[in-house]
Amino acid sequence: MIRVLSVVVILCLSLHAPATGAQSKPLDDIRGPIERGVALLKDPAYNSPSKYDEQREKIWELIHDIFDFRIISMRALAREWRSFTPKQQDEFTEAFTELLKHNYLNKIQGQFRDEEVVFLEQDILTDKQAIVKSKILRQQTEIPMDYKVVLSRGKWRIYDINVEGISLIKNYRTQFKSILAKDSPEELIQRIRQKALEEKKSGQPNA
Amino acid sequence: MTMIPKQTRLRIRICALLAAVLFFIPFAMAHAASQDAEQTASAEDEAFAFVEALDEEEPPPPQLADPLYYVNKGIFHFNDKLYLWVLKPVAVIYQSVLPRPFRTGIQNAYDNLKTPVRFASSMLQGKTDRAGVELGRFMVNTVFGGLGFWNAADLEADLQKPPEEDLGQTLGTYGIGNGFYLVWPILGPSTLRDTAGRAGDIFLDPVAHIAPGLSPFLRTYERLNWLSLNIGNYESVKAAAVDPYASFKDIYLQYREKSVQE
Repeated sequence: MIRVLSVVVILCLSLHAPATGAQSKPLDDIRGPIERGVALLKDPAYNSPSKYDEQREKIWELIHDIFDFRIISMRALAREWRSFTPKQQDEFTEAFTELLKHNYLNKIQGQFRDEEVVFLEQDILTDKQAIVKSKILRQQTEIPMDYKVVLSRGKWRIYDINVEGISLIKNYRTQFKSILAKDSPEELIQRIRQKALEEKKSGQPNA
Repeated sequence: MTMIPKQTRLRIRICALLAAVLFFIPFAMAHAASQDAEQTASAEDEAFAFVEALDEEEPPPPQLADPLYYVNKGIFHFNDKLYLWVLKPVAVIYQSVLPRPFRTGIQNAYDNLKTPVRFASSMLQGKTDRAGVELGRFMVNTVFGGLGFWNAADLEADLQKPPEEDLGQTLGTYGIGNGFYLVWPILGPSTLRDTAGRAGDIFLDPVAHIAPGLSPFLRTYERLNWLSLNIGNYESVKAAAVDPYASFKDIYLQYREKSVQE
């Protein structure tokens, strides 16, 4: 009886374990969803253009959870974050998430078809911070791509992407700073929304 | 009341316990989630402090004065239209005429020819081992790679391509700052320091000495060939940007800063 019970308890505990993230590895947390997303690209079920949107949403479903958009948004605004009201912060996060989503999906659906993503290694910096290194093989060139990840809400999540040593989020930070020097937070949010819409449209197969 | 065997009663009890435990799990999770949702303002502050700490070991994004902002921005827009309306259409035609392996080969040959720029820059930075690799690559590529069309040296483990070096980076390693931001027609983003470096690079480029009269054409052709291998990159960066001018400036500065450090 006691043995049976202890088995049950251990089983229950192990069900909980992945949520604490203690055992998960950054490389696996990032690689898994991305590779599954890229595999969907080659799925013949989505070959026709009419399936394009469906495929896009499916890929997003797989990979959106490996990003921490709140942290990304805070980093992109840096000190300006505090001057935004809580409502503006939420709106900004939502708009910027939308922009990054369509950006990323355009790249995946547009370019990754004839490219290959190879995951190389993980660099653990602290117990909460790590770098997952990968490279993109395109024809004869290799493009190094590093994912900066942080242990957030029980999982390793991306907070920045470095392509050839250039930080994507720092690049946005410079842009937002330059816009906020002249315009209000509302106008910035509006511009990001506008851009996200354009990106969404340009991702369409007939665009 | 029928007698239930002891064995069965035990089993029922275990099942009940199991059900209770399984029932409790989602409940406990929901409870934890609701606690998460009730984040107070101080938790927000803590989260922000945590995010700021992520950046502690990293340099801030490079900043550079832009006293010629309006001129630069004008040239930036000029370059944009020049690319979209003239250079890109020409590069697309060129691309359809010459298969990729030939274009890659031509690019390799130009790179090979520019060895003196990288060799001198490496030497001036005291990176003698890199200078040696550049020299070795030049000889192997020239002799066995058909004047550099094929990078034969890539087969040799000791002769792998080192990071690019130029005189602008060399000045950077001497502690000379960027000065200010500049956008050149056709050539695009640069800085005062990198412009000076580039002038020196051109002097070190054998093309300028072998055939001075032809060198503008050879350089234009190189640019066209390079463009044909990189169509779409500019558009995709521009499409992702909310403020394209600021984005390209930042990309250039981040890239150069990294190159100087390498």
